[in-house]
Amino acid sequence: MAQQARKKPFEGLRVADFAWVGVGPTVSKYLADHGAEVIRIESSTYPEALRRVGPFVNDTPNIDGSGYYANFNSSKLCMSVNFKHPRGPELVRRLVAKCDVVTESYTPGTMARFGFDYESLSAGRDDLLMVSMPLYGQTGPWANYMGYGHVLQAASGFNHLTGWEDGPPIGTGIAYTDFLVPHFAAVAVIAALDYRRRTGKGQFIDFSQLEAGVHGLGTAILDWTANGHEQIRLGNHDIEAAPHNAYRCRDGRWVAVACATEKHWEGLKAALGRPEWCDMDRMRRRWQRLNEQKEIDRHLGYWFEDYTRAETEEEFQTEEGVEGPPVRKFTTRQVVELFQSFGVPCGIVQSAEEMHADPQLAHRHHYWKLEHPYMGLRTYDAPAFRLSETPGELTKAAPMLGEDNEYVYKDLIGVSDDEFVELMASGVME
Amino acid sequence: MAISRRARPGSANSSVAPFERRRTNRYNTPMTQESPPVPLEHGDGPLTGYRVLDLADEKGQLCARLLAELGADVIKIEPPREGDPTRANGPFFKGEQGPNTSLYWWAMNAGKRSITLQLRLEAGREILRKLIASADIIVETRAPGESAALGLDYASVSAANPAAILVSITNFGQTGPYANWAATDIVASAMGGHMHLNGDDEHGPVRTTAPQAFAQVNAQAATGAMVALYARAVNAGVGQHVDVSMQEAMANAMDHAQQTWDIRHVNTYGPGVGRQTAGVRSGRYLFETADGWITALAVGGLIGLRADAAIDWLAESGEARDLALPAWRKKLTAMEPLAAEERAYVEETLSLFCTPRKKEALVAEAQNRGLGWAPVFSPGEIVESRQLADREYWVRVAHDDIGESFIYPGAPYRLSETPWRQRGRAPHIGEHNEQVYSGLLGIDAAELRRLKLKMVV
Repeated sequence: MAQQARKKPFEGLRVADFAWVGVGPTVSKYLADHGAEVIRIESSTYPEALRRVGPFVNDTPNIDGSGYYANFNSSKLCMSVNFKHPRGPELVRRLVAKCDVVTESYTPGTMARFGFDYESLSAGRDDLLMVSMPLYGQTGPWANYMGYGHVLQAASGFNHLTGWEDGPPIGTGIAYTDFLVPHFAAVAVIAALDYRRRTGKGQFIDFSQLEAGVHGLGTAILDWTANGHEQIRLGNHDIEAAPHNAYRCRDGRWVAVACATEKHWEGLKAALGRPEWCDMDRMRRRWQRLNEQKEIDRHLGYWFEDYTRAETEEEFQTEEGVEGPPVRKFTTRQVVELFQSFGVPCGIVQSAEEMHADPQLAHRHHYWKLEHPYMGLRTYDAPAFRLSETPGELTKAAPMLGEDNEYVYKDLIGVSDDEFVELMASGVME
Repeated sequence: MAISRRARPGSANSSVAPFERRRTNRYNTPMTQESPPVPLEHGDGPLTGYRVLDLADEKGQLCARLLAELGADVIKIEPPREGDPTRANGPFFKGEQGPNTSLYWWAMNAGKRSITLQLRLEAGREILRKLIASADIIVETRAPGESAALGLDYASVSAANPAAILVSITNFGQTGPYANWAATDIVASAMGGHMHLNGDDEHGPVRTTAPQAFAQVNAQAATGAMVALYARAVNAGVGQHVDVSMQEAMANAMDHAQQTWDIRHVNTYGPGVGRQTAGVRSGRYLFETADGWITALAVGGLIGLRADAAIDWLAESGEARDLALPAWRKKLTAMEPLAAEERAYVEETLSLFCTPRKKEALVAEAQNRGLGWAPVFSPGEIVESRQLADREYWVRVAHDDIGESFIYPGAPYRLSETPWRQRGRAPHIGEHNEQVYSGLLGIDAAELRRLKLKMVV
């Protein structure tokens, strides 16, 4: 059936993107990858923090060479302007007047210092949608606390809930909340856009990364407020499922295995060849198995450590007739294929390298390869959803700093050719 | 409704609060008002007027809840009699399992209506088609091969309502080599590359105990639903299928590991205290204090531009050891990677400084000096935190069935014109059958009785 050409969802919307680091740019990336014209507003005098953090092409720091920055900023344009230059604020305000949405994630008060607070920017119009996304919100004793997702994950409970039982609250290895809370903010921004589409009314969204992060804690808050029980990190165990752990395999890598239902457990028993311990009375029900987690880990550990002798040359060079050293019997791939064939949830703990080669992600075209004038062909993440009629499209690699100055200054702000040259010389674009 | 008082035996793994450890709880208060409606009205949300059908498990219930809190009428569809399987997810209120005591159910389904409907029967699917005809968004989480038999595949949904947006959330996506693989939170965390970035050399990779693959895929699916809703309006009312993958949602939570592989061919991995990127540890430090732990940004906290502020602070209290010497200052401000023994010395110095002090005071003074530090908070400490108290974050939710009210997390975003609203407790099984079947679909009382007898409803 011939399909009518669909309009991209946010075609015709223009976004002034003051946001930096991870959270804000992820929100505007959703808009950009689905058709909005998103203009990054940056400065070479005060560069966006991620432009100075690697990985860099050729391991050489370069303002246009950060892969970290690039991944958050596909499909966007970039203008450069120095807010502290006498002409800066006025030019920015003239740009915002041509925009539908403002996104920012500075410490509260920063935008107001330059006259970019919502009240000023929306003066004379009621259709401006603006979202502010600092760590802790616009108000409160911590409003001006600085940090990144690396430490916000501690204040929002993720460190406490990540690590080994009786060990320190190590947290995730990454700036975790930077990769969780923008998906919440995006829901609010697009819902508010829909309201604006119907009513013509914009609004201000006060988004606190901490307050959204708390919604990612599952049942931990209610367990405290209703039961007085503090949930705690349990390594790879789970309060609801057993077995539930990661196990090392022959190739030195790890698989995660979980039995959340009776069906999963029956599958595991079959996959293991119904060893006696599985059929003991105290293994019969889910809640019984929860009490036997350590026992189950011990038995499964034996299974994973069931040593055999190295067979292949890659594993060990043996002389004719001499047995190789003991190795675990199964590789990660073998375990996953065996367990999945019995319907048991099981997967390899994949590295970035393995993700890059993952056939499922390749099938879904998760990683986009986009050509960047300085960085060359680089990998970008796509959204986790595929829309059948209006699919997201990463239209271009991240912008170079000030790459679109001519378009933004001349066509949007409306400065003449002569004035553009003058402005360039004045340093306002630095 | 009778609540089965089947207490779970106390367990060694702290899945249930042992009763002797249960504190007198100052958060629960007797209800003072009359029973409020379930759910509470929400007339001024950005999604007020839209209807959502929720046929989701853990991968989609939070997604639907987020839409309810922005004003949508969310109808949770449960199997008749026993109700939704996630009602059996712990922990439970007072550790007692019953259909309405699951804190998981409370947290993820608050503010929805509930009806019962048997989708295995054609009569049930007939009613489902009528509901779909009245809905804007349908959220479902069946495995790709299973949705068609229940009328939840996109062909069936769009036949019933071409404007409907079907959000299908699965482990790995609708198609592809792993489409039919089984997964839970930890498997998606593993296959999505996130777990590889957590953990340490001694114990291996580790998952966050509060399930993050579920949290991630819910929030990202809600974003996808919103994009599709907006797309419908600009494309003359055309609905579409939103195909969401839990593995992919986790793949988006790899920080810059993917780009580090792409650009430098180096695999970023673990240690939770400081990430290892080809010999360079980055991220943040973790220090024990007199009353818990704090985290400190490495760059912007102890080394780099702010290193002087940290060293001055240590020096003022006479605890800088050698770090106040010019050579050390130069080294720390230069942001060059430290040798292992240098790093150990810096960490030891900071550790000695933090150990006798209290964490909130430490963080307040660090912030005062422009250092990006934060306390490690437990759920209880988050509830007690003065920042969230000052922002009046917490919401008290009345549970008329228990006669108490409980503290829930508040607005994840504050919209000035179309506010987020918590919409009351989660529904009981089929609590809104009459409201929905009679009020919405116009099924009369006799017919509804007949449907109940036939186990359709």
